[in-house]
Amino acid sequence: MLEVELRKRLGDFQLDAAFTAPGGLITLFGPSGSGKSLTLQTIAGTIEPDEGHIALDGQPMFDSASGLNLPAQKRRVGYVPQHYALFPHLNVADNIGFGLARMPGRTRRQRVAELLDSFHLGAWAEHWPRQLSGGQQQRVALARALAVQPALLLLDEPFAALDAALRGALREELAQVQQLWNISMLIVTHDLSDVFALGQRVIVYDNGGVTQQGTRDEVFFRPTSRRVAEFVQTGNILPAVVERVDGKTVWLNWCDRLLATHAQPLPVGTPVHACIRPTQILIVRPDRFGARARQNVLSGSIVHTDMQAETYTLHLRLDNSQAAYDLEIVLPGYVYHRLAVQTTPHLVVELDPQHLHVIPRKA
Amino acid sequence: MSNQGRPNSRSWLSAARSVFWRLPALLAVTFLILPLLAIFLKVLPQSHLWHTLREPFVTQALRTSLLTSLSSLALTVIFGTPLAYTLARRRGPGTTLFDTLLDLPMVLPPTVAGVALLMTFGRRGLLGPWLDAMGIQVVFTMAAVVLAQCFVSMPLYVRSAQAGFRGVDPELERVAYTLGYSATRTFLRVTVPLALPGLLSGAVMAWARALGEFGATIMFAGNLTGRTQTMPLAIYVAMESDLTTALVLATLLIVVPFGCLFATRFFARRRSDGAHA
Repeated sequence: MLEVELRKRLGDFQLDAAFTAPGGLITLFGPSGSGKSLTLQTIAGTIEPDEGHIALDGQPMFDSASGLNLPAQKRRVGYVPQHYALFPHLNVADNIGFGLARMPGRTRRQRVAELLDSFHLGAWAEHWPRQLSGGQQQRVALARALAVQPALLLLDEPFAALDAALRGALREELAQVQQLWNISMLIVTHDLSDVFALGQRVIVYDNGGVTQQGTRDEVFFRPTSRRVAEFVQTGNILPAVVERVDGKTVWLNWCDRLLATHAQPLPVGTPVHACIRPTQILIVRPDRFGARARQNVLSGSIVHTDMQAETYTLHLRLDNSQAAYDLEIVLPGYVYHRLAVQTTPHLVVELDPQHLHVIPRKA
Repeated sequence: MSNQGRPNSRSWLSAARSVFWRLPALLAVTFLILPLLAIFLKVLPQSHLWHTLREPFVTQALRTSLLTSLSSLALTVIFGTPLAYTLARRRGPGTTLFDTLLDLPMVLPPTVAGVALLMTFGRRGLLGPWLDAMGIQVVFTMAAVVLAQCFVSMPLYVRSAQAGFRGVDPELERVAYTLGYSATRTFLRVTVPLALPGLLSGAVMAWARALGEFGATIMFAGNLTGRTQTMPLAIYVAMESDLTTALVLATLLIVVPFGCLFATRFFARRRSDGAHA
């Protein structure tokens, strides 16, 4: 359990953040300059907050009220910086054994050998950091940090320095290390795919503060503000107003179109954002139209198609709409081809009320 | 043909341009090297070089020079290293002003440096009465030579060390802290090894500069044989009586610093070549 509550002023920037997270993989997610790395530094003990409280598993490391500020050396917090910061004047084995300097020579060598082994670096023990690939450098940095058996590992943008092809493999590797060592990791990232792959617990940062914290699915599918909805690339954030509430269904008016949702009841007239991810919009095949009862059925024409490696992004302009486009839809390639979308530019879509997430809009 | 003439005129132009560039460059190199060569050409035909080297006048100057320049090097490293590190790690208001002030002793005329030191440590200087009360006399002692050398050479060391420290990623130090290393141990095990090329070349340059100090020394420390007469001062004296002695001392003052500077550059380059391999 990690409890963090801090305030720190740096020039014009004000960090005022608080979050708690159970162990496991925790991601600090948010745009650059929102205070994520600064938070990491204060937890590592290399920057002192002006005020606040930091505790790990009930053990305080910093507490301005009682004047406690454990030095970085005593916090048992490992740190893996953005570009790994391997010591360039030491070979791989000496990098990994750096924190074990006070151990007797034999135990130290044995410990380093074990670490080299478990991180598949045995063949590279005598090599210099600059001779390693990005993935190997990350493994050395992890082994070096874990050698001193920290209670928490901090990673600052661990994949930013790598090319896309390597990133996926290293995310998996990191998750395996986390499980194998059973250690809590706090990962700073501005890359949504990192959050998706690694974030058991997600803390969303914006402008020096925490705007939302929760499980990955909560943050992805139930953002609590428009900003977070944008950060997690919700895709479709539709401005609407609560029209009426009957039973479990909240009806929204979105540009004179009625949408049924399963949102929490809200007063009629409340301005809201209705959110649905581009992959959650269903395409209704004309021959299946009557197959079952449907809600929120809309039709329109495709005004733009963007092809990625495996998916197609479509921009749909609804009938009688003046907007450039109204909905963004992402289809897997095979669905796109099976539906023969390219030859039938007019589509009928369904917005499942289950998937329409409603955020009250601040007036 | 007209379209043959153009490339021709162009090549004539580029030839002219290269002459205009190369000729001055050649003259500059000659101008810089010829005087040094002249000393060698004059000293080599001398037959009793070894004998000259063992004259008391020369050995005393050698001893004074070595003693003072090594002392000033030690002081420069002891006091200049923390200054260089502090300067490398902080950027703030007044940095440019401070940097300029720090460079000033390097470009000051040595006589100005001499006057400045007299006005600080001399009998009628800023600290004079205070030093007097403690029974310390600085002027005309070996200590004065060391102070004069430090004053002109420390900025050279601080500059080079500062660049060396600035090349060390602070993240490396932070990682060392989280691995249990104290600030001092981190400095000795991470920062210094990585800044070593800058520290070494700065130390060599500062030492060479101290070895060659003349103006500030003669004004502030005087020219007392066996006490404050360093090699450059001895050359000045010898020029009036014994050219051979002056030439031998001058040769030493060329060869030794050259050897040191060349060696540090050579090893620094080899190290950096290795780093990029």
